[in-house]
Amino acid sequence: MTSLYNAIKERVAVDAPSPALKQMPTTVAFLVAVLLSILLPRTLVSEPLAIAGGVVMIALATGLAFYYGSRARVTRWALMVPGVSLVAIALLREGSNGTGSIFSALIILPILWIAAENGRRWVVVSIVGTSVALMLPYVIEWRTPVDAGEWIRGVFSPAVFGIAAAVVNELSRQGRRQLDSIQRLAHEGESLLVQSLSVAARLKENELQLHAADRLTRSVLDAVTEQSVIGTDLTGLIDVWNPGAAAMLGLSPKDTQGKRFIFEFHLESELETRARELSYPAGATVLNPGFSALVESARLGRAEVREWTYVREDASSLSVSIAVTPRLDEEGATMGYLFVATDVTQALEVAKLKDEFVGLISHELRTPLSSILGYLELMRDDEESPLSGEQLQYLGVAERNAHRLLRLVGDLLFTAQVSSGKFPLDISQVSLTEVVSAAVLSARPVANAAGVTLVLDCPVEPISVRGDTVRLGQGCDNLISNALKFTPRGGTVTVSLSSSQDDAIITVRDTGIGIPASELDQLYARFFRASTATRNAVPGVGLGLTITKAIVTAHEGELDVESEEGVGTAFIMSLPLAKVSVGA
Amino acid sequence: MIAAEFPVRSRVVIADDDPDIRALISIAVNRAGLDLVAATEDGYSAWSAIQEHKPDLAVLDVSMPGMTGLEICARARADESFADTRIVLLSAGVDEAARNAGLLAGANEFIAKPFSPRELGTRLTELMLAGSRQQTLDNGSA
Repeated sequence: MTSLYNAIKERVAVDAPSPALKQMPTTVAFLVAVLLSILLPRTLVSEPLAIAGGVVMIALATGLAFYYGSRARVTRWALMVPGVSLVAIALLREGSNGTGSIFSALIILPILWIAAENGRRWVVVSIVGTSVALMLPYVIEWRTPVDAGEWIRGVFSPAVFGIAAAVVNELSRQGRRQLDSIQRLAHEGESLLVQSLSVAARLKENELQLHAADRLTRSVLDAVTEQSVIGTDLTGLIDVWNPGAAAMLGLSPKDTQGKRFIFEFHLESELETRARELSYPAGATVLNPGFSALVESARLGRAEVREWTYVREDASSLSVSIAVTPRLDEEGATMGYLFVATDVTQALEVAKLKDEFVGLISHELRTPLSSILGYLELMRDDEESPLSGEQLQYLGVAERNAHRLLRLVGDLLFTAQVSSGKFPLDISQVSLTEVVSAAVLSARPVANAAGVTLVLDCPVEPISVRGDTVRLGQGCDNLISNALKFTPRGGTVTVSLSSSQDDAIITVRDTGIGIPASELDQLYARFFRASTATRNAVPGVGLGLTITKAIVTAHEGELDVESEEGVGTAFIMSLPLAKVSVGA
Repeated sequence: MIAAEFPVRSRVVIADDDPDIRALISIAVNRAGLDLVAATEDGYSAWSAIQEHKPDLAVLDVSMPGMTGLEICARARADESFADTRIVLLSAGVDEAARNAGLLAGANEFIAKPFSPRELGTRLTELMLAGSRQQTLDNGSA
């Protein structure tokens, strides 16, 4: 493209010829005239001095022409060349028989040079130059033309030359204008060409970026070997099948892309169950209930992670956790779906082993505790050999610690049930007023012993929720027990029950040591203990809040905390109020 | 603990793989005034003892080597000759599912470990008294 442009430019950018070239006709004509003068004996040399001067001037003009021609930039001074040539021709004409001189014809050549210059003033200069050249003999001889013929030649010839100069000037002007137009067009062409080249370069760059992005996507998909990544269109027809999918399901991309549907690799009964859960009308509005069930959330624009069973070609199956997300086109419309599956067979095995382990540990810990507590009770109840007061005190310590260990085992078992999702609730109508009152009542001896004032603030009207009485009581017990443990002697723990429009709210507020703000978000982690608790040697293992949070969450409620170190802490338990049906 | 007065002392078979717990149950049974006829340490010997002695009461641990307490309970309930045998299951399992499984297998009582020997004795006594009252009523009506 650039070479084409250069070719155009070379063709249209016609600069004025160099002064040497312009002078060449004059010099050549002069030499021819000199040659003819030598060859023709009739040629008269009337003024040898003028001839010599003319020759010198022609040589000077030719030298100047070559000098200016050698310069990088031609200036107006180059017009000295035709000027000097005119003077030379006038001298040659004067020295060789005047009006009948063979050199008279040469006048036209420098006149044309001058007339071709840009501007009408050069026509005038041409006429003046011609007049000077033709009238030079009269000037040198200091005389006036003697007859009408001389006058006519002295005046008429410059006029004719002037007309010719004007015509040449006009033609040159038009030529220059055309040249300007061509050059302007060439310039515009150049600009367009540059723009085109720029656009082409950008297109090329974009193309390279697209290729790079495509390669990156392909590399990422290929690198994911532990997960299967399967892409489909809106009907479930597979168009993406990564190496992970090939490894997981035993088929290559050419076996599946454009040929198989994603739901063919799912356990049909699972898809049917899910379709029933979503209450799809049987075949009425859903072409493929199984596939629709698979992409239900993604279809609504939400990513969904759910456990499914993949079925291989050989009918073997594996448990997978599949994240389904919509694939969007450039306008944001769903154009298909992506299924990223992780094999969870091993994870399920581990979970099962964990359950078995927890069960075993629970059994193995509770059995010796049964012996300890049972035999301690036998000792206490032995009427034949009653224990002394001191022995009974020791026995009490042993019993208290055995019960403490038993609670810890219970808590561990409970948190294991929560983390494995096996968290049974015995749901019924629960009077929170009774639950909170009972929790405060049972905590009062501990509060009295600790020198902490325990305040109950309950409304007169009972507040009820749907829930598990035992578990909710356990949650309240935990919060009150915590508050008492973290409140120094002389402090106050206030347990209040209230309700908002939708929720029942239990607040346990203390004037205790508080929790650092940086630790608030870790409070519900298993075995987490606040630094203020360890610093003040407050007993505990860090399971109470985990359990309470799990209980509240299982009741679709929320547990919030407000705390300031050195001021106190408040735990706020919000539980959805039991809705009383209209007919009730 | 005062032993209850029974017209005929009820005969009891107990089974637990932990010797200390087994001894604890034995004490509770004796203090309740019941007649301990066999104390076994695994499921098979427990089932053999039950078949041999045809006891009025069997106190069985759920988790035992050989046969579990649940399996013994299910077998006994499937056999008419043990229709009058009261069965009490003891378990370290604490959740509702374990209790339901025990009651579903036909147990008359399900007691979670750790248990109080005093309360265990009381429960066994009550169970046998209720059983003898029922038997008296059944005989009267017959």
